[in-house]
Amino acid sequence: MRVLVGVKRVIDYAVRVRVAGDKSGVELANVKMSMNPFCEIACEEAIQLKEKKVASEVVAVSIGPKQAQETLRSALAMGCDRAIHVATDLRLDQELNPLAVARLLAKVVADEQPDLVIVGKQSIDGDNGTTGPMLAELLGWSQATFAAKFDVAGDGATAEVERETDTGTEVVKVKLPTVLTADLRLNTPRYPKLPNIMKAKKKPLESKDAADYGVDLAPSIVVEAVASPEARAAGITVDSVDTLVDKLKNEAAVI
Amino acid sequence: MLVATRALARRAPASSLRVAHLSTASALEAESERFSIYNPTEEHVALRQMVRSFAEQEVDPQRAEYNEKEQFNRALFARCGELGLLGVTADESCGGSGMDAVAACVVHEELSAADPAFALSYLAHSMLYVNNVNLNASEDQKRRWLPGACDGSKVCAMAMSEPGAGTDVLGMRTAAVDAGDHYVLNGSKMWITNGCVDSETLGDGALVYARTGPGRADVSLFHVGPENPGFSLGQRITGKLGMRASPTAELVFEDCVVPKEDLVSEWNGAALCMMRNLELERVVLAAMAVGIAKRCVDRMGKYAAERVAFGRPIAEFGQMQRHVAEGYAKLMAARAYLYATAVDLDLTSTGNRLDTDGVKLFATTVAKEVADAAIQVHGGYGYVAEYQVEQLWRDAKLLEIGGGTLESHHKNMIRDLAEGLPPGV
Repeated sequence: MRVLVGVKRVIDYAVRVRVAGDKSGVELANVKMSMNPFCEIACEEAIQLKEKKVASEVVAVSIGPKQAQETLRSALAMGCDRAIHVATDLRLDQELNPLAVARLLAKVVADEQPDLVIVGKQSIDGDNGTTGPMLAELLGWSQATFAAKFDVAGDGATAEVERETDTGTEVVKVKLPTVLTADLRLNTPRYPKLPNIMKAKKKPLESKDAADYGVDLAPSIVVEAVASPEARAAGITVDSVDTLVDKLKNEAAVI
Repeated sequence: MLVATRALARRAPASSLRVAHLSTASALEAESERFSIYNPTEEHVALRQMVRSFAEQEVDPQRAEYNEKEQFNRALFARCGELGLLGVTADESCGGSGMDAVAACVVHEELSAADPAFALSYLAHSMLYVNNVNLNASEDQKRRWLPGACDGSKVCAMAMSEPGAGTDVLGMRTAAVDAGDHYVLNGSKMWITNGCVDSETLGDGALVYARTGPGRADVSLFHVGPENPGFSLGQRITGKLGMRASPTAELVFEDCVVPKEDLVSEWNGAALCMMRNLELERVVLAAMAVGIAKRCVDRMGKYAAERVAFGRPIAEFGQMQRHVAEGYAKLMAARAYLYATAVDLDLTSTGNRLDTDGVKLFATTVAKEVADAAIQVHGGYGYVAEYQVEQLWRDAKLLEIGGGTLESHHKNMIRDLAEGLPPGV
């Protein structure tokens, strides 16, 4: 079975994000970018499926600027077999909306005919969490979101998925093909081994222009302005419990 | 399908589980990840990211325990094998990755920032043993020795110094004779990193230089292991100032039998092997120094911002500003010299003495000075183990001695710098 994995290039999780001076968005220049952590988990799951001989080929796809190819090389170094870059210069965190991404991925699915698509449950920049479900809807496939465990049945027709919810672990059975969205506890992504980093360069990476897919990429949501949260004012020290109670009652009006 | 009932955005991505507390200052972070002289290719960027994550998640957390116990972390060493780091410069056909001197520097810099002692054992194995075998051994020998050394199942060493011969390395007295169907080795070697793995156990293999003729440069290189009769552990050297998690041994050879097929390179031909490998050794020791200095700058910058005295963060005091700012500038000078030297270092060549000596001369002293400044910024806290800088200071001192003393670099460099000096010692 062929597995398609969507990976997104985002600002590295450890970077302290700054808002650009003109409030058009967060600052992207000279900021460390990495693969979205949930996409790393998605990749890992696909690679494990290949190691378990459930999958025969793992194809990574990334939509974004030229540098998205670096993210794809990371996916190849982890163990994906080949990669597809869908080139666009739209800002991934606010101009390229999840619906456009889902539409592009649906086209890639039509080309590649995978039996399973794995994406992260959300990207840590837009935080929409909607690409996977939208893709499943466009394809008319089943979907298993927030997956914490994934097992394909022996006949390859269905899969059992554990989902962690506020009320406990939910186990669902889905028909394949399906769209799986990876949650935190699905697995622990591996480090790419050095020999695999070297091999990644030789693996096929195909680049296509997003405009050629005939998909409407115009954003349906436009970001007007981005601002930092207001800095909290410094607190004060009160000299007695009575003063505290008085202030809570009369100034803050919370008791 | 049921709708998810829980809050959608549990914003704790997997990677945030990775320890973020030791990410370097943002200035250092940003330049480390881009293509630059520090990362000339995409592979170098990927390698640095991988080693940095590994160092943060797996090397840093074990540092305090293993250094305090003066124990070698063999399991962690095996992890380096799994990740393909032990054969960074070795041929791909023998289990290595065939990368260059820059890649070797990247690994040493990142590992050393987390634990210089562990990095030193990594260096002794992957550079002094693996790279040496890769360059100087026959194809048959490489096939016999490299796969186990690259996958981490073996911990290996190189033995050159002796109790009475350090900088004056060609004054070595360990000698080998040809006994017909084998060689016989007698003498002892001192300060051998990875010569043992604990107080009783020899390492799994060692390249040993020994005198084999009357001429001063008549030395040969032999491969020995615990299976060779007459090879034993003299002592595990303990009570070292630093580098405590890295095992150091005195090795003893008493009529040690070495099979003919374990002579590396030519009889009396090891001076070239030695020189070729020493150049890379000096550069990666400089890379370790850069790793130490980088961690120190990071630590003191953060501490200066946090620590309050006289009602203000101490970073507002000029005396502290000088420590941090000068530390950073020294670090970056050392780092630029390091990668400028490494990028030109062809691993198969010799004749790179001036800058391989020069960069180790400069960077190791920078590491010691910056570590000293970092302790000063931390005050009393800098003097205790919790803040790491005292270990870095102790570990940094070794780099001014091991792999060539500062004085040996002076001695070598003057040969290239003082034109017309008659050839001497």
